[in-house]
Order: sequence, then structure tokens, then C-alpha cells
Amino acid sequence: MFRFRLSLVLPLAAALVLALWPLVWAEADLYFQVFGMACFYGVLAVAWNIYALSGAISLGHAAFFGLGAYGSALMSCYLQWSPAVTVPLGAVAGAAYGVLWGLLFKNLRGVYLGLATLASVEIPKVIIDNWSSFTFGSLGVVGIAPLPDLRLGGLELAFGTSLKAQYYLLLLFLALAGLVHRYSLVSRWGWALRAMRENETAAAMLGVEVFRHRLQALLLSSYLTGLCGALYAHLLGLIEPALVFSLHISALPLVLSIFGGRFLTWGPILGALILYPLDQLLLQPQFPTGHAALYGLVIVLTILFCPQGVAPWLRKLRQIAWN
Amino acid sequence: MWLYAQIIVSGFYLGSFYALIALGFSLIFGVTHAFNLAHGELIILSGYLAYVLWKYGQVSPYLSIPVCLAVMPGVALLLHLLLQRLKAPFELNSLVVTFGLALFLQNAMLFAFSADYRLIHLGGSRIFQVPGTPISLTAGQLWVLSLSLAATGGVHWLLYGTFLGKALRAAIQDRQAALLAGINVTAMRRTAFLFGGMLIGLAGPLYALSMYLHPAAGLEPTLIAIVITIFAGVGRTRGILAGGWLLGVAESLAAFVLGTGWRELVSAVVLLSLLILKPQGILLKG
Repeated sequence: MFRFRLSLVLPLAAALVLALWPLVWAEADLYFQVFGMACFYGVLAVAWNIYALSGAISLGHAAFFGLGAYGSALMSCYLQWSPAVTVPLGAVAGAAYGVLWGLLFKNLRGVYLGLATLASVEIPKVIIDNWSSFTFGSLGVVGIAPLPDLRLGGLELAFGTSLKAQYYLLLLFLALAGLVHRYSLVSRWGWALRAMRENETAAAMLGVEVFRHRLQALLLSSYLTGLCGALYAHLLGLIEPALVFSLHISALPLVLSIFGGRFLTWGPILGALILYPLDQLLLQPQFPTGHAALYGLVIVLTILFCPQGVAPWLRKLRQIAWN
Repeated sequence: MWLYAQIIVSGFYLGSFYALIALGFSLIFGVTHAFNLAHGELIILSGYLAYVLWKYGQVSPYLSIPVCLAVMPGVALLLHLLLQRLKAPFELNSLVVTFGLALFLQNAMLFAFSADYRLIHLGGSRIFQVPGTPISLTAGQLWVLSLSLAATGGVHWLLYGTFLGKALRAAIQDRQAALLAGINVTAMRRTAFLFGGMLIGLAGPLYALSMYLHPAAGLEPTLIAIVITIFAGVGRTRGILAGGWLLGVAESLAAFVLGTGWRELVSAVVLLSLLILKPQGILLKG
């Protein structure tokens, strides 16, 4: 009983620390930015992992990310709607591509699914690259509207300009994504996904509708990834095909999830909160170009030496500490 | 009329080079079942090696080929040592690990060579014309074409004309049966990485001669190698050459009809169609 409560207390304590440190240390723009983006990549990792829970290793989530980014950026550019509307609507472009994957790749498993996902990033990328009259081609979309300000009583949250406000927004986003991830692990639906991952034939025998469940997981995963892409466009203010459809965007959630531990609720989030600040605060100043080699190295070492990721270590440490 | 003939000749030139790119991947994948997603990055790395030798050592690109042929098998053997340690499921783990390796190599090359596009320029490029027609190829293209075809012929002779090749083919077709026949399959894996590394080593300088090198260029050759391998089946040199030619001609036609920007789409679309039509994958027939 006590251990069960502890598993709730620890993430809550971590969330409180993440929410309250800015009160102690008010002026730290670099840290707001780095930890804000760490939360952002945490959401991306969670989104990737929801699909991976059904046993599918995707090497092409950049497709959803880029489509979400372009969906929202172009809508805001042509229709002049507020980002508060275009972000959730633009992400639908990612989800639509996700449904397409689900339908076309329904017979692919394992390695072949991985190859198909890798190749499918190229299609939206090349189309957007070449359709210059509508998407501005390889020059990209510039001057995308920043996120709007929000007034809550006397409190003014300037999401467009204040890094602190952005940090809190992304932290909230991460907390919500964490809850969705928890649901995808512990609900009846989540158990169905896990059963499919372990043995698809046996799961189907027990009455799990394999196609429908995997499609639902992919839909959720691609919509969340599309949301990330859409937010990214408005946070950064400019996007180009080579940036949002890059191998880096496909690889990052995979690396963070597997490093953190993709079978545990907070594994992908832990991976993001450790690796991204490490990369940005320690490596980036030393190697301005090429610091992202860290992620490649980490995934190779993780698969070789601890395929379960680092979260199980922490769990073991906690058990030792409490016994 | 002659325009289309020129497009088809360019397609054959491109396709022969693609066959060379695919041969190394297919040999390694066939014998070891390792999906090497860093294949393209290794080719680009070998290309950068030739570029550095040419730019800073004033070594002719043709003389750098033997250097790359000697260095890259060493790199491939290191990759072999790394992949040997992987646990089951081997194929999926090799896919994820080499995906990480590709990311690592891209960033390492970005650090070492910057994001600029690089090409080995041949001084005073001569143009050769097919007698009696306006069809032409540059000297560099002719080198790429003849070396690619020579390497493909060499691998074909190795696989179908020697005892070692017979053992390699046996290891590709059925590992258990090959073991029963007294073939040292572990040694065959090493051999596959060795020859695969030599093919990667040769492809690098040829890539630097014909296409622009940049750190993120590796994905395209990787996709090309996978497309052709899935199309032809593993270890089938003639099928791989035919697949390379088809892809090369298709890309040349797409570049002419739709515009050069759409060329990259061809290999991705062909790969997706092959996977959707043949979802069980490549290894059904040896």
C-alpha cells in the first residue's frame, strides 16, 4: 500500500519542484528556455511512446510533426486566425496522415513497419518543398504569429514574449500528456495495447480488436505529435521543410523514450528531462554544431547495455532505499 | 527523341551507381540479417575521406579509391563488433542501433566538415559523345559508370564463381543448413561485412565525384539501397543491377517530367509501394 502511494508521491513532488523553482530563481531566461523545451520534447516522447506501446517502433514521427507545424503556420498565415485556434486545428493534418499510415501499413510489423515509416517522411517533405506557390517551398514560412497573451483576472500571461510564461505553458502541456500516457498504460485500453505488443495472435484470440486499437493509438500519437509541431511553429516563428521533417525530429522521441524507459509511465518524460538539458547546457556551448551526436550515442549505448532504459534503475534504487 | 535517349542513358549511369550502393547493403543484410540504416552515412563518410585527401592532400580522386577501399572495411568490421553484441530481437535492435549510429555520424560529420555542400571537381572535365548520336557523358560520369559496373561484375564473380561465394550464398539462403554443411557462418558474417565495407569504400569517392556531399545526404542512399534490395532479393547481383537501372531511369524521367525537386520522391514512393505489396518482407526467398 505504502509503495503504491509512493509511486504517486514521487511524480507529484517532481512536478511541484518543476513548477516552483522559478519562484526562487526568478530571472533565468536560459533555464526557462531549456527546461521549457525539455518539457516540449517530453510531450513528443510521450506521443511517440503511445504508438510504441502497441509494439510499433516508428522512425518517422517527423512526418506528423512537420504536417502539424505547416498546418498551423499556413492557416495562421492565410486566414489570420489566432494561434489558439490554428494549433489544435493544424495538428489535424498530422492526425490525418496518421490515419493514412494506419490504413496503408496495417499488415506491416517490426522492421518493415520501421522502414515504411522512415520512407513516409519524404513524401510530405518533398511535396511541401516543391509546392512553392502555397507553402513557400524550401525557403520556409517566416514571421509566423507568436502565441497570444492570456489575461486571467489580474494575471497577465504573455506566451508570445515571456520565456517564463512559455515554460509554464509547456510544463502544463507535459503534465496533461503525462496523464494521457498514464491512461494509455493502466486503462483497459492500455492493457489491450500491451497484450498486442507481447503477442498479437493471443491478444486477438482474447477479443482485442487489433486493427482498431492500433489505429486509435496511432491517431492519439499522431495528433499529439502534430500539436507539438504546431506549437513549435509558433514558438519559433519560422519553419522550413528541412527543419521540421528532419531525421533529428524523428529520432529524438525514440531516443528519449528508450533511454528513459518506455515501459514505465514517466520513463519518456524522465528521458527528456535528463538528456535535453544535458545536451543544451553542457554540450551545446562546447560543440555548437554536432552536439546532437549525443542522442545517437545514447541510443546505441542504451540498446547495448540497458534495453529497459534508466527508469527501472531508479525504481530499484527506491526499493533499496525504502527497505 | 534524342532527348529521351539521353535521359535513359543518364538513368543507366545513375542506376549502375545505385546498384553499387545497394550491393554492399544487400550482402551485409543477406548474410547477417542486420538492417544497416547507417549505410548511406558510411558512404558519405567515405566520400568525405576522398574529399579531404583531394582538397588538402592533392590526391587524385582515383588514387583515393584504394585508400577508401582499405579504410572502410575496418569501419564495417567495427560495426560488426558492435552489432554482434545485440540481443534478440536482432533485426529490430539492429535497425534502432544503426538509426542512432546514423544520427551520430550525421552530427559528427556536421562538426567536422560543416553543413556546406562539397563536390570533387575534376579539372577540365571532358565530355565523351556516343559516336553518331548527340548523347554525351562527362569523364567523371564515365568513371562512375565503369567502376560501378566493374564492381558489380566483381561481386557477381565472387558470389557465383568462387567457393567462398558459394559458402556466402549458402549462409544467405539457410543458416542452419549451411552450418550442417560445415560452413563457418560466423566467419561468413565477418566476410560479408568486409566485402560490404569495400563496396561502401568504393561508393564514397564515386558519390563525391557525381553528387554533392553534405552531412545529411546519407538518408537517400540508404533508402535507395533498401528499395533495390527489397525489389531484387538478397545476394542476387543481376536482379540488383536490373533494379538499380529501373530506379535510375525512373528518377531521371521523374526529374525531367516533374522537375528535379521531385526526384527524391521516387525512391520513397517505390519503397512504400513494395512494402505495402510485399508486407512479409524480403527474406522469404533467398
